Amino acid sequence: MKPPAFRYVDPRSVADAVGQLQEHGGGAKILAGGQSLLPLMNLRLVRPPVVIDINRISALAYIRETAGVLALGALSRLHAVAGSDAVTRRAPLLAEAAAHVGHLAIRHRGTIGGNLAHADPASEIPAALLALEGEVVARGPRGERTIAAADLFRGPLSSALDPTELLTEVRVPITPSGCGSVFLEVSRRAGDFALAGVAVLLQRDGGQCARVRIGVCGVGNTPLRMREAERILERSGVTEDALRAAARAVEQAVAPSDDTQASADYRRHVAGVLTVRAVAQAWQRAGREGR
Amino acid sequence: MAKRAREATVREIELKVNGIAYHETVEPRRLLVDFLRDDLGLTGTHIGCEYGVCGACTVLVDGQSVRACLMLAVQADGAEVTTVEGLARDGKLHPLQEAFWEHHALQCGFCTPGMLLTAYELLQNNRNPEPDAIRDAIAGNLCRCTGYQNIVTAVQATAQASGRA
Amino acid sequence: MADTTKRKWVGKSIRRLEDPKLLTGEARYIDDVHESGMLHAAVLRSPYAHARIRRIDTSRAKALPGVVAVVTGKEAAGLAGPVPAFCAEPVVQHAIAIEKVRFAGEAAAAVAAVDRYVAEDAIDLIEVEWEPLAVVSDVERALRPGGPLVHENLGTNLVFGRTLTFGDVKGDFARADRVVRRRLRWPRAAAVPLETAGAVAKYERTSQRMTVWANTNMYHYSAMPFAGTLKVDPNRFSIVPVAVGGSFGSKHLLSKVITIAGILSKASGRPVKFMEDRIDNLAASDSHASDRIYDAELAVTTDGRFLSLRIDVVDDYGAYFQFGQTSHGNYLSQVTGPYTIGSVEITLKAVLTNKCQQMVYRGAGSEVNNWVLEALVDTAARQLGMSPVDVRRKNLIRPEQFPYKIPTGNYYDSGNYAGVLDLALQMVDLDRWRKEQARLRAAGRYIGIGLATCQQRSVYSSTEFWFWYQKPSFPVTATPEGVTVRIGQSGLFTVSLSSPFWGNSPETVVAQVLAEEFGIDPSTVSVLYEDSLRALPAAGPGGSRLTVMLAGAVTGASRKLKEKVFRIAAHLLEASPQDLVLADGKVSVTGVPQRGLTLADIAVNAHFFKMSLPAELETGLDASHTYDHPFTTPPSADRSDLGAFYPIVAHAAHVPVVEIDVDTGLVKFLDYVAVHDCGTMMNPAALDGQIAGGIAQGIGTALYEEFVYDSEGQLRTASLLDYLLPTAAEVPSIRIGHQETPSPYTPYGLKGSGEGGRMVAPAAVANAVQDALAPLGIEVSELPITPDRIVRWVRQAQARR
Repeated sequence: MKPPAFRYVDPRSVADAVGQLQEHGGGAKILAGGQSLLPLMNLRLVRPPVVIDINRISALAYIRETAGVLALGALSRLHAVAGSDAVTRRAPLLAEAAAHVGHLAIRHRGTIGGNLAHADPASEIPAALLALEGEVVARGPRGERTIAAADLFRGPLSSALDPTELLTEVRVPITPSGCGSVFLEVSRRAGDFALAGVAVLLQRDGGQCARVRIGVCGVGNTPLRMREAERILERSGVTEDALRAAARAVEQAVAPSDDTQASADYRRHVAGVLTVRAVAQAWQRAGREGR
Repeated sequence: MAKRAREATVREIELKVNGIAYHETVEPRRLLVDFLRDDLGLTGTHIGCEYGVCGACTVLVDGQSVRACLMLAVQADGAEVTTVEGLARDGKLHPLQEAFWEHHALQCGFCTPGMLLTAYELLQNNRNPEPDAIRDAIAGNLCRCTGYQNIVTAVQATAQASGRA
Repeated sequence: MADTTKRKWVGKSIRRLEDPKLLTGEARYIDDVHESGMLHAAVLRSPYAHARIRRIDTSRAKALPGVVAVVTGKEAAGLAGPVPAFCAEPVVQHAIAIEKVRFAGEAAAAVAAVDRYVAEDAIDLIEVEWEPLAVVSDVERALRPGGPLVHENLGTNLVFGRTLTFGDVKGDFARADRVVRRRLRWPRAAAVPLETAGAVAKYERTSQRMTVWANTNMYHYSAMPFAGTLKVDPNRFSIVPVAVGGSFGSKHLLSKVITIAGILSKASGRPVKFMEDRIDNLAASDSHASDRIYDAELAVTTDGRFLSLRIDVVDDYGAYFQFGQTSHGNYLSQVTGPYTIGSVEITLKAVLTNKCQQMVYRGAGSEVNNWVLEALVDTAARQLGMSPVDVRRKNLIRPEQFPYKIPTGNYYDSGNYAGVLDLALQMVDLDRWRKEQARLRAAGRYIGIGLATCQQRSVYSSTEFWFWYQKPSFPVTATPEGVTVRIGQSGLFTVSLSSPFWGNSPETVVAQVLAEEFGIDPSTVSVLYEDSLRALPAAGPGGSRLTVMLAGAVTGASRKLKEKVFRIAAHLLEASPQDLVLADGKVSVTGVPQRGLTLADIAVNAHFFKMSLPAELETGLDASHTYDHPFTTPPSADRSDLGAFYPIVAHAAHVPVVEIDVDTGLVKFLDYVAVHDCGTMMNPAALDGQIAGGIAQGIGTALYEEFVYDSEGQLRTASLLDYLLPTAAEVPSIRIGHQETPSPYTPYGLKGSGEGGRMVAPAAVANAVQDALAPLGIEVSELPITPDRIVRWVRQAQARR
C-alpha cells in the first residue's frame, strides 16, 4: 500500500504554512507527526493533492508556563509531553493521557497538535483536553483565534478548524494544588485505541469534591464532557451512592457505536465502570496531593 | 498549476545511515522504509503492514525509534538513521544480537530487526529493565513465532551482562 | 540407534545455525529478491463479495508512464489456466477473475509497473462496471434452497457432505447413562505471519523457461501443477526457495501470488514481483482457516467413562475449495483424543460462501477438535459432579495399551498420558491454586484454572488429503523428504535440503543429526536449499513432520555415506571395515586410535586420488536419501478404517490460570503451565520456542482473533488494527515441562512438535475462562472470548438471578 502522488512543501514558518494552506484551500493536508495521516495515505483512503509538512517549523516545538497556563507548541511530540517535567507537574492529566497513545515509536513522531486536529473520537488527548478545559490556538489567513476544547471536536475526524487554519498551540490551565487526576482506558491490547477512556480531574476540599471534570473517549462521535456525572459528584461528594449515580449518568450521556472490537452496550457499560474507578483513584491522588 | 506541480516531483536528501553519508533523489511520497530497502539496498528493515501497527519496519532516527513506514524519506533529510545493519561492527555481533542467538529469541527472523532496535533503544534509556518494562517496550513489535518470552530473557541477559562488564 | 545416555548432539539445545543471517538482516526473504529489469505488481481487488464483471477498461492504466503490462482475467486466460486445486469437485478458480468475482478482495485485474507506487496508481485508473449479485454471506444463507450460488456449475453451495462412522456409535449411545451435548462455534482466523506472501516470476520467452522465487512450501507437490497452470513445460519450470518469515501452514501453495506473478511476467517479458500487502494477506490470501459450527455429543456412564463421540460439523469454506476438506481429514487422526473412546461418528458439511477461501493453519483442524472434545469433557465433569482431573484420569489411554488403534484406524504410537498430567499438575501446584481460587472467590474475584489434555499428531501422510472422497481425483500416497549430504574435498559437510526454512530449524536439525552420526562439530555444517528442479522429492515443513523426516533422511544418507567412508578407510588403512570405528570425525582401527584417518583425509582421497580407492568406487563422497513416511497404510475401500496416517502422536497437558475482571471483561493470566511429550527431543530450546509460539497463537484464537464478515460479505477486520495479534503484553510467560516417551517408529524416537502449542491452548484457555465464570453458571461456547462477550454473558447470568 503506497501513497498516491502529491505536491510536497515544507515551510519554515507558521506564516508560510498558513500561506500554503490559503493557496490550496481545502486541497492541502498538514503533515505533522504523520502517525495518523500516513496510514490513511498509504491505504489511499485520503489523497491530498498537496501535503504541507510542518516538521521544519522549529518555532512550534516548545512547552512553556506563563501566568497560570501551560502552553505547548503544536509540534510537541507526545513522547515529550508524556515525559516533560513541566507537564507532569503542572497538568499531570495531560502527561498521563499522552503516555497512553500507541507505542513509543508512535509517540516519538506523533504531535499534540496533530492528535487534536485529527479529532479521532477514540483518542486520549481530546478527552484529557476536555477534562482540563483547555483550548487551542489556530492561525489562519484572517489571523489568530482561540477555540475552547468544548468547541473543538465536531464529529468523527472532524474538528472546528477551518481548512485554511493551522493549529499552532495547545493551552491548559495549570492544575491547582489539592487536585488529583487520572486517565484510565480499556483497550483490547496494550497500545490499541480505547474502547472507552475516561479522563478525570478532581479538586478535593477536605472531604468534599470541590470540582470535578470528566472527559470520555471512544463512546461517541466526539470526546464528551460528562457534565451530569460531574454535577452529581460535586453535589454529593465521592460516596458509593454518588459514584453509582455518576456511572449511570455517564451510561446515559454517552453515544457509542458497535464495531468489530466491541458493541455499543459494552462501551456504554465500561464507560460507567471506568468513571467509578477513575474518580475513586483521582480522589485518592487528590488526598495525597493535598497534604 | 500543472507546471508548478511538475517542478516539485523529486527532492534531494542528504542523510547518514549507519554512519555512512548518502546523497539521493527521491519522490516526496517515497516511504522511508522503501528508500532504505530499495534505494540503499538495506533490506534488513522489513515491511509487515504499512500502517504503523506491526513494528517490523522500526528503525532509529536520530536515536529514537520510529516506524519507517510512517515517515517519508524526505523527512529524514539531515537525520542519522540506524538500521539493523548498523548493530554489528566489523562482523562482530552486538551483545543484543548475541543474546538473541543464545536465548533462542527468534525463529523466522522477520520481526527480529525491528525487535532488536526497539530493545537497543530500551537499554539506552533503562540500564536494567524489569521483565514487565521489557514487555511494555516491545508491545509495539508483533512477533508471531516466539511467544515473546525468550526475547524478554535475551534483553534481560544483555542488560545484566553489560552491568557486569 | 545409539543408546540415549551416550547421545552427544541429539537432545542438545545448541544455538541455531539459521540465526546469524537472520540477526543481521542478511537473510534473503522474498521481498529482498531483485532481478535485473524486475517490475512490481499490484492487483485490482473487487469491492463486492459477489458480482459480475460487466466491463473492464484498462486503457488509462496502460497509458500511465511506467506501466508495462495490465492484464484482465480474460487476457490472463490466454497465458494461464485455473490455479491448481486438490479437491475432486469442479470448483474452478482463476488467479484473476474472469466473468465474476466470488469474494470481496478477489483480483479482477493486475498491473506490472516500474515500482509498486506506479502500479497502484495504475490500479486507480482501471474502470470496472460491476453488476452486484446477491451475497451468500453465511452458511445458513448458503444452504437455503433457491438461494444464490457461489459456483453455478455445482448447482449447490454444499460442496461436500458425508458421514463417516467408526464402530458401534448407535449402540454405545444407547448404552450410555447420559449424553453430554454442546453447540460450539469456532471462529474464522488465519495464520497471519509477519511476512506476507510474495513471488518473483521470471519468464524467459526464447527458452520458455520460468523461474519463480516464492516463500511457498510444498513445491515438490505443487511445481508440476503450477507449471500446468502457467503453461510451461514442467522440466523448464523451477521454484526457488527463500527464507520465509513465518507460515504456520498459510504458505503451502501460494497459488494466487505465484500465478499472478507468472502471468505478468509472460505478459511483460520481464521478471515481475508480486508482494501481498497486508490487505491482500488478510482479505485475499489462499489461507483462512476453519470456520465451524459444531453440534457435538459425548456418551458417558455415570461413573465417568466416555463411550462414544458424535460430531456434526458445518464448515464455511469461503468461495473456493482448493485444499478440499483436508482440515477434516486431519483430526480424524486423533478425534477421540487421549481417551479410550470406543466409537465415533462425524457428519461433515463443507459449504461455500462469498468469503476468502480456507487452507490450513497450525493444527490444521485438529486444534478445533481438541477444543470441542475438551469442552465436552469439562461439561461431562460438571454434570457428573467429578473434577476435570478425575474424569480425564478415568479415560486416559494407559502406557501398556500402545500402539493404540483409535476407532478411525489411525494409531497412537506411544505415550504416557497420566505421567504428563501428573507433571503438569505438580508444576502448576494445582492444590495451591484451588485454595487460592476459593479464597479469592470469597472476596468476589473470578479466578479460573483450566485443564486440557490433548493429542498432537505429527508427521502426516498424504492420504489425509483425499480419504474423505470415495473417488478421489488424485490419491497421492507419497509424503517424502529427500536430502543430499556431501562430504567436500576438505572434509566439511554440506547438506542440500529440498524444502524451505519458515521459522523452524531445519539447518540445526540436520547439523545435530550429522554431528551425532559422524562425531563432527554441528556448527561446521553448511546447509543449502535446492530449487524444485534440483531438489529431491519432499513435502516440506507442515503437519509437524520436518524434524522427524529430516532425521530419517539424514540418517539414511549418513548410512550410505558411512559405507563408502569405511570402505575407503579400510582400503587405505589396510584393515577390514568391521575392525574400524568412527568417532569424533575420525575413522580408526578399533583399539588402535593412532591407526586412523580423519574425514578430511578420507575426503581428499575420495575426491582427488581415484587410483588410491578400491577400483569399484566412484570419485566423490556424497549420498542422497529420500525418507518416506515410516508408518502409513491405505484407507479401506469403504472408509470404515482410514489406515495409519498420522501415527506419530505427541501429547500435552496445559494448565492456565486466569483472572477475569467481570466488569470490563478483561482476562489476565496468573500462570500458564504446559507439559509436552514429543518423544525424544532433538533440541529442547527450539522445541520450547515452538511451544511458546504456538501457545501465543492459541491465546490469540481464544481471546483476540476473528475475521468478521457482514451480511454483504465485506470483511470488517481487514487490518491489523481490527484483526488482533497478541503482543508481548498479552502473552504470559509459559512454564514448560517435558516428558520423553520415544516413538518406536522414528529415528531416535523423535516425534513432531511444531503445532502442539496451538493445538492445546485454545481448549485450555477456554476451560480456564469457563472455570472462572463457573459460579455464574457460564459456559464458553464460542471463541474468541472477547471482553464484550464476557460482559454480556456475566450480565445475562446476573439477570437470571
